[in-house]
This record gives sequence, C-alpha cells and structure tokens, in this order.
Amino acid sequence: MVDRTDTKQAQPAASRRSFLKASLLGGAAVAAGTGVARAAGDPLITEIQDWNRYLGEGVDVAPYGKPSEFEAHVVRRSVPWLTADPVSSVNFTPLHELDGIITPNGLCFERHHGGTATIAPADHRLMIHGLVDTPLVFTMEDLKRFPRENRLYFLECAANGGMEWRGSQLNGCQYTHGMIHCVVYTGVPLRYLLEEAGVKTSGKWLLAEGADASAMTRSIPMEKALDDCLVAFKMNGEALRPEQGYPLRLCVPGWEGNMWVKWLRRLEVGDKPWAQREETSKYTDLLANGKARRHSWVMDVKSVITSPSPQAPVTHGKGPLVITGLAWSGSGTIKRVDVTIDGGRTWQTARIDGPSLPKALHRFYLDINWDGSELLLQSRAIDDQGLVQPTKNELRAARGENSIYHNNGIQTWHVNTDGVVENVEVS
Amino acid sequence: MLKFPKSAALSVLALTAFANPAFADGDIDAGEKVFKKCRACHAVGEGAKHKVGPELNDIFGRAAGGAEGYKYSKAMIAAGEEGLVWDADSLTEYLTNPKAMIKGTKMAFGGLKKDEDIDNILAYLKSFSTEQAAASEAASESAEGAEPAENATAAPAADKPATETALVVETSQGAFGLGRKAMPDEIAAWDIDIRPDGTGLPDGKGTVAEGEPIYAEACAVCHGDFGEGAGRWPVLAGGQDSLLKERPVKTIGSYWPYLSTVFDYVRRAMPFGNARSLSDDDVYALTAYLMYLNDVVEDEEFELSKENFTQMRLPNEANFIADDRLNEPHYAKGEEPCMSDCKPGPVQITARAQVIDVTPESEGEESSGGSID
Repeated sequence: MVDRTDTKQAQPAASRRSFLKASLLGGAAVAAGTGVARAAGDPLITEIQDWNRYLGEGVDVAPYGKPSEFEAHVVRRSVPWLTADPVSSVNFTPLHELDGIITPNGLCFERHHGGTATIAPADHRLMIHGLVDTPLVFTMEDLKRFPRENRLYFLECAANGGMEWRGSQLNGCQYTHGMIHCVVYTGVPLRYLLEEAGVKTSGKWLLAEGADASAMTRSIPMEKALDDCLVAFKMNGEALRPEQGYPLRLCVPGWEGNMWVKWLRRLEVGDKPWAQREETSKYTDLLANGKARRHSWVMDVKSVITSPSPQAPVTHGKGPLVITGLAWSGSGTIKRVDVTIDGGRTWQTARIDGPSLPKALHRFYLDINWDGSELLLQSRAIDDQGLVQPTKNELRAARGENSIYHNNGIQTWHVNTDGVVENVEVS
Repeated sequence: MLKFPKSAALSVLALTAFANPAFADGDIDAGEKVFKKCRACHAVGEGAKHKVGPELNDIFGRAAGGAEGYKYSKAMIAAGEEGLVWDADSLTEYLTNPKAMIKGTKMAFGGLKKDEDIDNILAYLKSFSTEQAAASEAASESAEGAEPAENATAAPAADKPATETALVVETSQGAFGLGRKAMPDEIAAWDIDIRPDGTGLPDGKGTVAEGEPIYAEACAVCHGDFGEGAGRWPVLAGGQDSLLKERPVKTIGSYWPYLSTVFDYVRRAMPFGNARSLSDDDVYALTAYLMYLNDVVEDEEFELSKENFTQMRLPNEANFIADDRLNEPHYAKGEEPCMSDCKPGPVQITARAQVIDVTPESEGEESSGGSID
C-alpha cells in the first residue's frame, strides 16, 4: 500500500489524512459536528480567509504557468529498481490523479534510452533516403510548410504492465498502467514526406532513427507509414516537450510506443526490415514454448479503473461513489466498457463520456451507491473490432509468464471497508 | 490534393551562415555542458580520479602523459618526452582531432567539431587548473591566430570568399518542392544501419583477441568481465537453455536472432555515454569477442570481417515467429462477454501486491520484481 503520509507531500497528504480520520469517526461525529456548525459554523465560511482579504500574485509571476501548489504530489514517478541507470529508464504517468482523456504534457511518462537529447530546432534535420527517387533533407522550417493535421492518439509502451505477468506486484495504477499518455499531435502526414521523395515500388519498409545518444531505430512496414503515421512537432498545442522528442517525433498510431521514434532525424526506405536491437532482443514476446513473437506492433484492447485505485482510495465513506477509468485499443475505438464490483460475477456497462476517437483514450464512469462493503473492481473493454479484453489468466494460459510485453489483462482492485485499495488477483 | 508551385530547382545554401567565429573567451557553463561528452571517461574537480581516461585537474601546464598513476598509450608518453605540454593551443589541436595529433592515442573520442565547443570546454577545464592566468592568455592568442582544423562542411575560415564555401544544392522535385536533395556524404554520415543480410557492413575486420582489451576498457564496467552484467546492466553472454525457465536470461547467445544487430547496435549506441567513438575495426573485434563470450566461436584468433560476417549464425535465430496473437483462444472465440452469473461462487483473492511489496515509497523496496525489458 502506498502510504501517502510518507511521500513528502506534506500539505495534500495531511489534508487527506485528516479527511480520512474524520470519515472514520463515522456518523456520530458528523452528527455532533452538525450541532457545532449550527452554533458557530464552518470557520472557512464564518471567518474571513487570507485569500479573501489580501491580494494575490499579479500577472507574469509565472509566464509559462504551473499547477496549483496543492497539486505538487501529481507528478511522474519511477520505480528505481526497474533499470540500471536513470539515463536509460522510464517513469510513469499519474493516471489516478487525472480525468478526461488528455494527458497534460508535463505528466506524460518518459522512456528514453540515452537521456533527453537537447537539439535546437535550427540544428535539426530530417533525412529521407534509400529506395526513393530523390533523397531529401528537411529543416524544421521546411516541415512546417507542408499541410498538417491534428490527431488525438494514445501512446502506450509495449511493456506497460510488464511487471505484473507473474502476479499483482505494484500497488498503484500509476505503476501498473502508467506507461501511457494521450495527447493531440500536430504534424505532417508521413506520406506527404515520402511522396515528396518518391518511394520506389521496391520500398516496402521504413527505418526510423532518432538523433539522441541511443540513435533509436525501428523498422515500420510501408503500408503503416503511408496510412496514418504523423511527423509531429506539437503536442497539445505547444512544442513537443524535450523528453518527448523535441523538436520532432514520429507518431505510429495504435502501435507500441517504442516505434514512435523521438528526435526523429532519418527515414530510410528499404525492401526488408532491419532487425534492430529494439525489434529483436527487445520488444519480442517470449512464449512458454521458447518461441518469441516478433513484429507484435499493435497495442491490444485494454482498460483500467484509475479511481478508486491504490493511490486513490475511497476517503468519503459509503454513499455515492464515482468509479472511473480509461479504455483504449490500438485497433480503433472502444465500443463498450463493462465494470464489475464483485470480482467478475456480474457486470454493468459503464458510461463513456467525452470524445470516442480511434487509437485514443476513452474515459468511462460507473456511478454507484457504495454500501461500504468490500469491492473487487474490474473493467473490461471491447473495441470496434469486437476484441474483448482478456483476463490475466487467459493471457498466461496462452503465453506463459515471460512475455514482458503486451500485458492487457483485466486489472482487479480490492477495496476494503475502510476504502483502502489494493492491487490483487482473483479466482 | 494541394498544389504548390515548384520553387526554383536550384538554390544556394550558404553554409557559412552557420559557421561561428572562434570565441576568444569560452564560457565555463557552456563548457560544462560540452564536457558531458567527456565525462564517461574523464573526471575533473574535487576528488577526481582516473577513469577510462586520466583525471583532468591542472591539465593546463601538465606534460602530455604526465598524470601520475594513469596508464597512457606509448604515443602519448612519447609526445610528453618530446616536450608536449598541454596549453590552450595544444589542447585545441588535440580536441579537434585527437588521432591526427597523437597517432596511437588511446582516446577513442573523435574530436569536437565546433570551435565554440572547444573554447568553452577549455574555459571549463581552465577553471580546474591553477595556471589559469597563463592559460587564459594563451587561449586568446590561439583564438586569434590559429587556423582551425576543419572537416568537410563545418567552420570554413572567415577570410575565404563565400563562393568557395557555399554549396550548390538541389531542391526537392516533389509536389511541394520542399526540402533539398541529400548529398552522398550526408547520407553516408548517417546511414550506418546493418541488416541481417549484411547490407550496410563497412570494410573492416577484428579478432577475438583484439576485441578482448577493447571490451575490458570500454564495456566491462557495465556488462561485466565475461558479459555477466553488473547490477541491472544488460547481461550479454550465457543464459543458454534458460528461455523456458522462470527467469530467462536473454543474451546474444541465448536469444538474439542476428549477429548484425550486435554490430549495428554497438556501433550506433555504445559505449553508453560515448556513442560513435569506436572504429569499425574495433566494432568487428568487439563483435568477435562477444561471439567468443557466447561460445559461438571458440578460437581466440578467429577474425570477423565484412567478408565472412554473413556466414555467422546465432543459435536462437529459428525461434522467432510472426505475431499470431489474434489466434489465441481468448480473441479467437469471438463470443459476447458474460454479463451475469459469470462465476459459480464468491470470488477469492489469489494474489496481493502487498505481499510482494515492491512499490516505491513503501518499505521493503528491493529489486526482485522482474523487469520492463
């Protein structure tokens, strides 16, 4: 259990703790409180507060702007034991604190292999070469003269949930599901750039390469490259964040995040895949029989309840409770999300609210009246191809426990009578 | 489809626009940034010790090969004996192209391309040298008087006529007429990928025996003397017959399908923090040594070359299959999911994260929980 009181977030943690204590005191305290309130009232109302009397900060104190100081605990977090070195590592999006379907840029999880490259836009070049009529070099200025598109897409690391193959392990959806984000990209359709260079008929594959110290490379089939890939320079309206590939990244919608090459500098057209490190030794899925799947690009249909969850316990006691979460599929839109509160014996269809766009996050809600008893919460997504999110045991039966990647199994949260939530698995 | 008028087929891209004049006074903070390129091998500042390269405190005024306790190349020792002392001039020349100045130096670094970077790094190093005043003076002279060493496209000398250094480039012939034609040298500079069929392999060769000292110097600190991996750094050797076990050890010998991936990856991204610093022969020798560590070859005199490369096979090549996830029972059955009475009795909890307890910020955190890749 993540103990919020230990997280160096004194202010929010303290307020939550006192809130929780108050609710634990139960009905009697509330009744007594009501009496006091009638006599004296809530001091937050009856007494004039500092913010109501004294002036606040003027404009330009933070020319860029930043979240409220009371949201300081809403940050990306890492799991130090996962990787050898923070330069080639990963951190996680705090899904439990977010709502809607857009991930704020500063909270999008980071995964890079040679640190964050620092590249001035004027120094950046994108080269297209190989099996093309004319090998080309573009500056950022050139790229911004092509017609551009805006698209909302999720980006999920294929290893999201990879630590959970052998059983529930990390207590928080930030850690079990936080290698995902969803932002609006502005960019140039990759096919415009490829057409500009003129792909030869023998050109069936594309190698995308980053300019960072890992020179990240992935092979992408030409069919996908000409379909919906974008060469993006903006996210959620502003320039890409450095850790997301500033000034230029590739978007490969619905496919594993590792292919979305950041600091994109080179696209080579060829007639065969390149079998680079990240598509042979990594991002291949080892099965129980010793065989390994390669080119398993599409991200599977998946969902998770983000609240309540271990880092977002129920603090208000019984009564109205909003169960909410995210669903997505690399194959298209989410058609339906079902939620169970009894570990999968009975299911109810949740309400999807907000835009339903292909290869983007979907937000769902189930509004219940909690009776204060234990809950075993699960969500199950179904996409527009009819694919149903499998259970973890179904995945293990098919693949064993050594796959690392593509764990889209149904997640179970146990809510106890105090509202404390734990990552569990069920029969 | 949008139609854009084609712009002139030829335009002149004057690369002189990007050339910076030499800076007489480097910037210490900027130099600290440039030093990131060096710090994988060199330490400077309080308590700095020799690493792969010698520590750099008081480098100004130090005789070449003169740091006590560091094992220099013969070439560097000879240069010191011939009277080479490090100052702004000599360091500028060395950092521009180390191997051109000291043929046989151990320093694998290819050199700094920008005069500005060199000035800044000298300013940074100078701040750790006691001979600051003298060095500063020397740096100014150097900046004013020295003809900077150039590579093909960068930093032409300011006094040459612009027409000599301007490049005539062709614009795109595509629908938008955007971008310009990539030059062969530019493509060659970036196109370093190798495919399993050998496409892209450079000329070169190296033996197991030649790879061993390179590995010991550049790789063993993270990957272990025998490829066993230090800490959580990748294990490179061993693991044969582990793929069916609870914790498979996926190494070059036990898992990787193609040797070309080893060459490609080492050349593009290793050593960690000093990418592109190895010569092609070094990479052939290292690849040969990694084959040896994985028992793919057993002769220390085995030489890997462009010519014999594609004859080499790794043991696990046949075990990679196409993505057949959609044939798995849970997807293939295509049934409407159950909505009620889906399980016979009350549901039991079978596993709990609290028992394993590896979540950050909880007590008992330890590295027992598997990995992401």
